Amino acid sequence: MNVFQTLMNRRRFLKTGAAAGATGAAVTGLGGLPGLTPVKEAKAQAAAGQTTITKNICHQCPARCGIDVYTTDGRVHAIYGNTDHPIANGKLCPKGHLGTYILYDQDRWKGPMKRTNPKKGRNEDPGFVPISWDEALDTIAGRLQNLRDKGESHRFALFYGRGWGASCAGLQGPFGKLYGSPNVAIGHASMCSEGSKRAKKATDGNDSYNAYDYRNTNYLLIFGAGFLEAFRPYNYLMQMWGHMRTKSPKTRVTTIDVHANTTTAASDRALYIKPGTDGALALAIAHVMLTEGLWDKEFVGDFRYPGSRFRSGERIPAGSFAEKWTHGIEQWWNEELKDRTPEWAETITTIPARHIRTVAREFGSTRPAMAIFERGPTAHTNGTYNGMAIHALNALTGALFAEGGLHYQMGPSYGSLPVNADDYMDDWSRDGAWKKQPRIDMAGTERWPTAGTMMQEAGPNHLKGDPYKLDTAMFYLTNPILTAPNGQVWEEAMKDVFIIDTSPYGAETAAYADIIVPDHTYLERLQDAPTYPFEGWPMAQLRTPAIEPVHDTKVYGDVLIEIGKRMKGPMGDYYKALGSTENVLRHLATGFAKDPGDNGVNSFETWKEKGVWYKKPYHWRQWRGDFYEWDGKGYNVRMSEEDVKAKLLKTPSGKFEFNSGFIANHAENFSKKLGVPANRIGLIQWVPPKYTGGGDLHLVTPKTAMHAEGRGANLSHAIALQQPMHGGNRTVFLEIHPQTARDRGIRNGDKVRIKSSVGSIEAYCKFFEGTRPDTLVLPFEHGHWSMLTRWTQNRGVGHSGEVTENVSDPISGLACYYTGMVSVERA
Amino acid sequence: MSNATQTMDAPTSTGRSVISNARIGLGVIGLLAGLAAAAGLLTGGHATFNTTSNLSWGLPVSAYVFFVLTSTGLTFVASLAMVFGMKNFYPIAKRCVWGAIATLVIGFISLGLEIGHPLRMIWAVPLNLQVRSPMFWMGLFYTAYGVFLIWKFMLINKGDWDSSTSRKVGIASLLTVVFAHATLGSVFGMMAMRPFWYGGMVPVYFLITAFLSGLAFIMLFINLDYGVDHGNMSDGARKAMSEQLPIIFTIVLGLVIVFTIAKTITGLWTNVNEVQIVTRHIVSSFWFQFELWIGMVLPFLLMLSAKRSDPRMQTLAGGLVIVALFIGRYEYVVGGQLVPLFKGAWYDDLIAYTPSMTEIGVVVLAVSVGLLLYGYGDKKLKLSDAPKI
Amino acid sequence: MAKWGMVIDLEKCTGCQACSTACAMENNTLPGESWQDVLYYKEGKFPNVSVKWFPRPCMHCENPSCMHVCPTRATYKDENGLVLIDWNKCIGCKYCMIACPYGVRFYTDEKALVEPDLKEVFPGQGGQQWSPPFQNPASDWSKGVGIQPKGVVSKCTFCVHKVSKAPQGVPDLDEDIPELKEFVPACVRTCAPKARYFGDLDNPASNVNRLIADKRGVRLLEHTGNKPQVYYLGDHGTVPGFERPEKS
Repeated sequence: MNVFQTLMNRRRFLKTGAAAGATGAAVTGLGGLPGLTPVKEAKAQAAAGQTTITKNICHQCPARCGIDVYTTDGRVHAIYGNTDHPIANGKLCPKGHLGTYILYDQDRWKGPMKRTNPKKGRNEDPGFVPISWDEALDTIAGRLQNLRDKGESHRFALFYGRGWGASCAGLQGPFGKLYGSPNVAIGHASMCSEGSKRAKKATDGNDSYNAYDYRNTNYLLIFGAGFLEAFRPYNYLMQMWGHMRTKSPKTRVTTIDVHANTTTAASDRALYIKPGTDGALALAIAHVMLTEGLWDKEFVGDFRYPGSRFRSGERIPAGSFAEKWTHGIEQWWNEELKDRTPEWAETITTIPARHIRTVAREFGSTRPAMAIFERGPTAHTNGTYNGMAIHALNALTGALFAEGGLHYQMGPSYGSLPVNADDYMDDWSRDGAWKKQPRIDMAGTERWPTAGTMMQEAGPNHLKGDPYKLDTAMFYLTNPILTAPNGQVWEEAMKDVFIIDTSPYGAETAAYADIIVPDHTYLERLQDAPTYPFEGWPMAQLRTPAIEPVHDTKVYGDVLIEIGKRMKGPMGDYYKALGSTENVLRHLATGFAKDPGDNGVNSFETWKEKGVWYKKPYHWRQWRGDFYEWDGKGYNVRMSEEDVKAKLLKTPSGKFEFNSGFIANHAENFSKKLGVPANRIGLIQWVPPKYTGGGDLHLVTPKTAMHAEGRGANLSHAIALQQPMHGGNRTVFLEIHPQTARDRGIRNGDKVRIKSSVGSIEAYCKFFEGTRPDTLVLPFEHGHWSMLTRWTQNRGVGHSGEVTENVSDPISGLACYYTGMVSVERA
Repeated sequence: MSNATQTMDAPTSTGRSVISNARIGLGVIGLLAGLAAAAGLLTGGHATFNTTSNLSWGLPVSAYVFFVLTSTGLTFVASLAMVFGMKNFYPIAKRCVWGAIATLVIGFISLGLEIGHPLRMIWAVPLNLQVRSPMFWMGLFYTAYGVFLIWKFMLINKGDWDSSTSRKVGIASLLTVVFAHATLGSVFGMMAMRPFWYGGMVPVYFLITAFLSGLAFIMLFINLDYGVDHGNMSDGARKAMSEQLPIIFTIVLGLVIVFTIAKTITGLWTNVNEVQIVTRHIVSSFWFQFELWIGMVLPFLLMLSAKRSDPRMQTLAGGLVIVALFIGRYEYVVGGQLVPLFKGAWYDDLIAYTPSMTEIGVVVLAVSVGLLLYGYGDKKLKLSDAPKI
Repeated sequence: MAKWGMVIDLEKCTGCQACSTACAMENNTLPGESWQDVLYYKEGKFPNVSVKWFPRPCMHCENPSCMHVCPTRATYKDENGLVLIDWNKCIGCKYCMIACPYGVRFYTDEKALVEPDLKEVFPGQGGQQWSPPFQNPASDWSKGVGIQPKGVVSKCTFCVHKVSKAPQGVPDLDEDIPELKEFVPACVRTCAPKARYFGDLDNPASNVNRLIADKRGVRLLEHTGNKPQVYYLGDHGTVPGFERPEKS
């Protein structure tokens, strides 16, 4: 066959081409092939130089899609998904392709800068002047050394957002330990999606996002996750969506949200719920599943005696139910669930009871079926309880660790670092006075006992001087001055803090910065990144620079190391021994020699070449109520209860807990804050949300596909393609139900003012029948005010954070971004 | 200057020269203002237009359509004498031919400044012969028409009104312009994807409105040329202007009113969604009401009355009809593009378009050139000449 | 000789616009110059609201009205069924934009959709409208590939600079076949849910023909007679009639 022959020739050609390129496959030089007619005109097919492909991973959300970066003549000109990368599979989401703009953005910092205008504020020009890297690093190190010498090292805080791996965020822990500050480092998780992690910690004992087996599931019940807009890994989710929606049997999808979005529109059924009441809906679904006998008896267990059943409003006799992998169902039913009927839920959620029954029957009678959720239900004062109620549905369908169900993510087989920080501790590191200081954000104290981090509290706490005042703050991939709820407080708070910003861009933190030590953009970086929760089996990616840095920038990990080297005493010695991030990465890769990846990666060099190390499969599987472990050939090792408790269900009971031991451990604390009696605090239950802000309309601020994670504000194409639902090709719009608008004299397209107890912003509105009449929807993370980058400015919309009260879920610590109520009027 | 012609009136009236000079002055001012406003074109290119990829033909194209159709109409009137032998119209024929040249120039300037590569057009269109494109034929016929028109003018300017060549050139100019306007009509009428334009009757509609347009220009300009006083005219001209032409003007205006109302009624109650939406939008605007009532019905009533022969009334009616027809052309050209084609939520309403200063400048510039050209002819080319009968 | 065509499965499409951005970067189009766009339509009253969308490349029609109206034959159909524009012949009359029923053509000598204007940030060199550092090296004005000069119309080329290098006779350009991925149009290559397929409509063995038959593919606006070479699958491949939005 002719076709076959040509294909074979092509294959051979590509192989030789690949061998020729040192860093990747050669893709040019194909000009002699048929189909290309000669051109007479001046602009004929340009003969380009050699094109190389380097492996990298995308930076525009945490999903870490492997990318192929195409470079010709020293210029990056295309980004496509890496075909050999398990998340990307050659594909990308809309943001991924725009990375070249990030690299060549004309408003990037060209090198380190220092501030000359001591006054700080929105309209203050910082008066940045260029300085050398030595001056920048010496200034920072001198300042930190001075603080440490004064015994005030706790007054240095390092705030970080998207930590990637051991070569950036991983360096921060040792830095804090050696330097001596409880505030190195403070993560942003409490302003992200900590609620779902804590809900899982409270029920199945894993403080983590889930890995999901979408490929094999037959039902998705999605609660406020923005599955086709912002849930992660977005690219992979879309690949799975294409699969799920055309496989046999087709995966059915019901989506619960407060407005119509692409996810609800693409689903089989959309339910528009009152904000913050998802828990009530989940409880009602559980109620129906129990009363109609639809729970997974092999996982949950069953009544001891035939004929017993759950009847609405009736208790079940003590000891009548023999639980298998769950804990507390009897108490849960008797003390909470028996009254959580669909009719009751209708009064809370506004969703008709008959719809709730239909969904419950569908979900309960389909296997495998999963309930997934994110910030929609959890960014509320009752967020953890909402999340627990939803996650309980996964226990009731037996989806935990099952095929077509939910797993947790395994870590990569990294080698150890060349040096151990414990060997470089001086007296101050070991037991200086800093050890008695709480963190500036008070995470882990009585104020927020189960919160891992409370970044949103740091600014306000500094302003109040409670527990103390910060002296110096460094920011890495986070911008709370804009993104924190009620960020105006941060604007005030950060005026008297010496601020070090590492971003390559002039965002709001930079507007307040005293010194700027700009990072490379991701296409210039050498940097590792273990996977974000994905399919469960371990994976670690590597970013490889496509080109030499365009400007005089330095990768953040090396900035930390260079600052460390300039510190006196053993701390300096540690960093001298650590050397550089490349040295760190080379040591991490030694772990692969012992445990080579499925794609043959067994060294630093092969890691760089392939861009990813991974090792399938996931090691555990629950099948028909029994847990099995992978023995290298199959899921052949049946696990004991102790084994399951140690590795999978890490709760106090070693079971999925309908009555959470984790929460009960802090019964008094939470009881006070939530008004729930201490004796039932651990039950998965309905706790009404506390709406804040003082207005008459809910304000929900979702992320959009083109801007999820907020890194699109400077990309002109992303701006032009915002939110197709409303055609926001220069800005984003406030979605408002037409009747809600009419009642307030607002016309379609009007500029409106959105007010709450903490501030007011303006935006242009668009009528939308798909938004609940009691709710306004305004996309998150628009409305930058920094004057340091041009495209972000004057987009005709304010930042939603300025009307969002800083209130957090007492259990997870997650900032309640969606709990705010506002009023709206024509501006 | 030929002896065969006879000067039938003398430029003695002060009113005439005042108007004539004022016209030149207006032309010069317009030219400067137009140049200033259109200067953006040199620095900013077509980005200074308010046309976009979603509405790509705006004011300059509307002006092009208006003026080339006016030229068509003037040629029709000129042909009454020169082709159809209605000798009464000879006294205004030369003026009409010159006016047709001036308006054609206006149209071409408007279009030339609107398209991306006007110079490339000169070779690319004839070399590629895309015979399926109505625009190809429109270009061909209007170019041929322009050539014949100028040829004809040169002949009559030499006094050759009636030779066989002169008559053939006159017939050729009429025939080419009939085809030209018809293909211009097809440029719009063939576009089934834009139902507001679509239809086989568009060339007919263009024909009748073009005729009206030519008549209205005569009503306005010839009266102005003679100081709004038929007493300044030769007998023949006076007869044409006070008796025959007003009646033809009134009849054609009446037909156009019928056409307009019929089109509007069909548009308002048709079940072709886009046509209905656009017609509603147009009817709800001030400009449409002005066009219909002040620009057409009022002149029609004036012309029905005994004042029909009054040069002041004719001037007023001619001016109003010109404005109405210009509004109509703009509504038509822009109206066909108002409904966004396959733009989804990006443009969920009719496309908003208001001409930019540059676009207005382009049109003012083109009109001023035409005005000066006409003024030049009025002063130097003895436009009132007619053959000795 | 192939007759390249595209199949878009709306049952899979998630409306994410990755096709649009992949196209924008591959072809260096300006913001708003969406050779490949995703169009959204919304209908209904709360809580019964439907939102539909479909991606819209150039339809590369069998009988393209844009080609017929072009007075200079700058728009032409090449031997593989692609509708292309020769920027050396285009006079910028924009009649093709008027005549395209699918709104796929762009004249970028217009006010920038997003300020600052990229044309000013990256000033054009060598006659191009703009010259970004990340420009795709592939450029061929006779096919409308690359960054256009001023005064001409641009549109989707089905990535002719990639497709034309594909081995002769392949029935489908499928990005999942590693040897072929570099020849697949950008929008098809990146489509995460694999809602897009690209293949030879003249080849009975092609997957696109099978999909069109099995899933009853439809073409948009059949009444215009353009006969697109882009087929849509799924039960919501209809475009709602235009209605003006409520004002108040």
